[in-house]
Amino acid sequence: MTTGKRIFTLPWRSRTTIAHDVDAELSFHFDMRIAELRARGLSEGDARQQAAAEFGDLEFTRSYCRREDEHAVHDQRWTDRLTEWRQDLVYAVRTLRRSPGFALASLITLAIAIGANTAVFAVSRAVLLQPLPYADADRLYQINTIWPNQPNSRNQLSPADFADFQRTQTSFTDLGAVVPETAMIWRPASGDPKSLDALDVSSNTFAVLGTRALYGRTLLPGDEIPGHDHRVVLSFDTWQRDFGGDVAVTGRSIILSGASYDVVGVMPRGFTIDEREEIWLPYDQTGTLADVVRARKQHYVRTIGRLKTGITPAHGLADLRTIAARLAAAYPEADSGRTAEMRSLHDVLTGDLRPALLLLQGAAALVLLIACANLANLALSRTMGRRRELATRAALGASRGRLVRQLVTESVVVSIAGGILGVGLAVVGTRSLLALNPTTLPSLFDANVNGGVLAFSLAVSLITGVLFGLLPALDASGGNLHDSLKEGGRGSSGGRASGRARTVLVVAQVALALMLLAGAGLLVRSFAQLTRVTLGYDPNGIVTADLRAAGDRYNDSLQVTAFYDGVIQQLSRMPGVTAVAAVSDVPTRGSSGTALRIDGQENDEARLQDLRYISVHGDFFKTMRIPIVAGRAYDTSDRPDIPETAILNETAAKRYFPKGDVLGHRIRIGPDPNAPWMTVIGIAGDIHTDGLDVPVEPTIYANHRHEAWMRSMSLVMRTSLSAANAGPLIRAAVRAEDPTLAVNNVETLNDVLGQSLASRRFALGLAMSFALIALVLAALGIYGVLAYNVAARTREFGVRIALGASSRGVVSLVVQQGVSASLAGIVIGLAGAALGARLLNGMLFGVTPLDASTYVIVVTVLLVVAVVACAVPAWRATRVDPLTSMRAE
Amino acid sequence: MHRTPPEMLQGTVDILILRAVAWQPMHGYAISRWLDDRSDGVLSVEGAALYQGLHRLERQKLIAAEWGLSENNRKAKYYSLTAAGRARLRTESSTWKTYAAAVHKVLSPA
Repeated sequence: MTTGKRIFTLPWRSRTTIAHDVDAELSFHFDMRIAELRARGLSEGDARQQAAAEFGDLEFTRSYCRREDEHAVHDQRWTDRLTEWRQDLVYAVRTLRRSPGFALASLITLAIAIGANTAVFAVSRAVLLQPLPYADADRLYQINTIWPNQPNSRNQLSPADFADFQRTQTSFTDLGAVVPETAMIWRPASGDPKSLDALDVSSNTFAVLGTRALYGRTLLPGDEIPGHDHRVVLSFDTWQRDFGGDVAVTGRSIILSGASYDVVGVMPRGFTIDEREEIWLPYDQTGTLADVVRARKQHYVRTIGRLKTGITPAHGLADLRTIAARLAAAYPEADSGRTAEMRSLHDVLTGDLRPALLLLQGAAALVLLIACANLANLALSRTMGRRRELATRAALGASRGRLVRQLVTESVVVSIAGGILGVGLAVVGTRSLLALNPTTLPSLFDANVNGGVLAFSLAVSLITGVLFGLLPALDASGGNLHDSLKEGGRGSSGGRASGRARTVLVVAQVALALMLLAGAGLLVRSFAQLTRVTLGYDPNGIVTADLRAAGDRYNDSLQVTAFYDGVIQQLSRMPGVTAVAAVSDVPTRGSSGTALRIDGQENDEARLQDLRYISVHGDFFKTMRIPIVAGRAYDTSDRPDIPETAILNETAAKRYFPKGDVLGHRIRIGPDPNAPWMTVIGIAGDIHTDGLDVPVEPTIYANHRHEAWMRSMSLVMRTSLSAANAGPLIRAAVRAEDPTLAVNNVETLNDVLGQSLASRRFALGLAMSFALIALVLAALGIYGVLAYNVAARTREFGVRIALGASSRGVVSLVVQQGVSASLAGIVIGLAGAALGARLLNGMLFGVTPLDASTYVIVVTVLLVVAVVACAVPAWRATRVDPLTSMRAE
Repeated sequence: MHRTPPEMLQGTVDILILRAVAWQPMHGYAISRWLDDRSDGVLSVEGAALYQGLHRLERQKLIAAEWGLSENNRKAKYYSLTAAGRARLRTESSTWKTYAAAVHKVLSPA
């Protein structure tokens, strides 16, 4: 029997070593066997031959053994690696548990920072990155007409213009027309009739959007032909709710507003064009186009086009502009001065959210950077204290790479744990953000923490962990570790380099925090300015509702007038209602633009004066409590059959009639140079029609009785009732006048005002929270570094105090260090903020991006916080007992 | 000399190797001698099968290998049983014993 002495274990062997080993092993076998056979008396040759014969297939065995060994080494390599990782992990968790303070501080910081990033990303991914739920949605554009250089004059197309654009354009596969919804009264086989919101769409619209039906078919060209046009497509929700999700519904007939319609299809879940509609009906313009004048002047056709592949947007726009120019020449009374504009459908729907979201994402990233700096600092101080431990491990054979990996593993463990907490925060945060701001986000966008968002936050966590772990790890494992072992103590203050690194981190933190604070400060001041804007009316107690006199009956404008008169009269008799009127545009929802000619003045036909246009029905001024500054409001004497009268706002009166001769003056509005004259009979107070942040422009409050071609109006009702209680009253009044019409958006005027500020409030709230977090983190950062420095310099302070330094001297020594780092950060941060604040330009109101007072306040706040953060460590420095401090170490 | 019978299964070689190194580390040649001695030459395993078995078992971590010095002071590869190998040997042995007893019972005269 043999006994072996252990020489060495087999490490990971290379292929050559393996081959060599196998050969050595096998030749040992042969040598032993041959020696034995020869001992039995066989000749060298015979022994060799017999040994070979006994052995069997040598070549195969040789390669078999090599292969097995190579596999074994490969397996081993992986197990070793996994074992090391596991060791690192276990070790990391163990060390972290030994310093729960560090772990907790890091976890909370990370959870907040990663949570903020995840929450903002969840929203911005949905809004900015996710395509709309249409095929090839990036080629879809909304087409408007607009007066050059007047963004607020954007308007939809008139039916006749739409027809011309559709016929003559060559850059789009097709243009689809969408017309505001009407209510259709559906009479089910059993039960009460109910109202369904219908959207009239040209029969090619579904093809333009590129969405197929879930069941049956969409509307197709031909469906709009009169006599064959009683066809309806159901939305998924309507199909589920009202038709029980019955697949056999396609091909059936249903009764809508007294007529029979064939259900041709059901759209997939979530498909919508206008966000509210329940059914789609074919839209046919032939009837409308018959009335040549009206078909050109009413702009209510929302137009969506799909750009052909290979055509650039610029080319498409040029095409549209050529057509617009031709139309302006051919129909000057309606189209003169108008040109075409196209915006990607995605931009139309995301609207003003894009800059806000990008800014918030930037702010969240800044918070994360500050958090990283903070944690790097914490980790730096911590690893300094662990130099002895690291030196011991290095002495025991751990390579520098292994030590770095160990430390980075620790920070990654913390960052992943923080990330998990952060995602939890983000889920709650996103939900409550959206719950608090239901109108901020169009329902087409589905903001949720899903797989993509999780992947994002995982990546962010990993990067964060590496980011804040790597610097301290490199710093701690570098240099001469053996010195720290020899020094014996807990190490000196840890090289000058790492001291500088910590100071740089503090400077960076302060700079980043200042940028965030400055941004948030500017937004706060803007918001404060906005809430101080004089409205010019009393929004309290006003309930609004959107109406539209839809249907052929209202081609007669007298019917439109009669309808609004009837509704207003009915409602004004109701208890709890003080006054009722109707207006084309509820304040802050916008207005349309028109042109002004003044009797007896030189009117430059090429550059007519701008006038905002609002149409009012009934006593709008009394209802809204808008003062009549001069002259009078409209009354029953302003009948449609006598020459039209006009009321201007104060701004118009001042700007266009500087001599004060406005009352009784005659004006013309609209592009038609031969439009009838209107006599100005009154001046009403200014109101912000286009949003609180848009300055008041010269405006005419036209009399709807004269301009009754406008069918969509909003009711304004001064009442003691809530919106919920006023809704049924309004619906009853409208139903009594015309049961086919729908009432939409019953809400208080204060809610409308709130919505106009919703995205601003949304951004402001988040920016403020981010700035606050940044401030706290920066304060913690300053505190951490100073506290560490004071602890490391205990002995020095002891000596100073023993030699007679006053506590004031010691305090100033410490505070000076903190304040000088903060000041450096403030200077850098100011420069960064001044550059970055330009990005805020579109979101500011009443303050410039370089608003001095904001910066002064922000700098003061930061300085105060910095001094407070310095104070505690400084106080501690003065408490150093000279004797104890010198005995220590 | 006996050659490994062709019907001698791979599993049989494996369990014999495990048994051989159960008490002390051995190199390949010693294992083949030990098997020869213990079975009075009946279970003489062919060299090819033996070394293939050794490397296979090493990869499965049932045995571990170390280079050492042989009795005549030559470098030799020593194999020893791992914990996993010991456990495998235990289960395999009892399976084998049951199997052999059953075969024996069937072949015995009634």
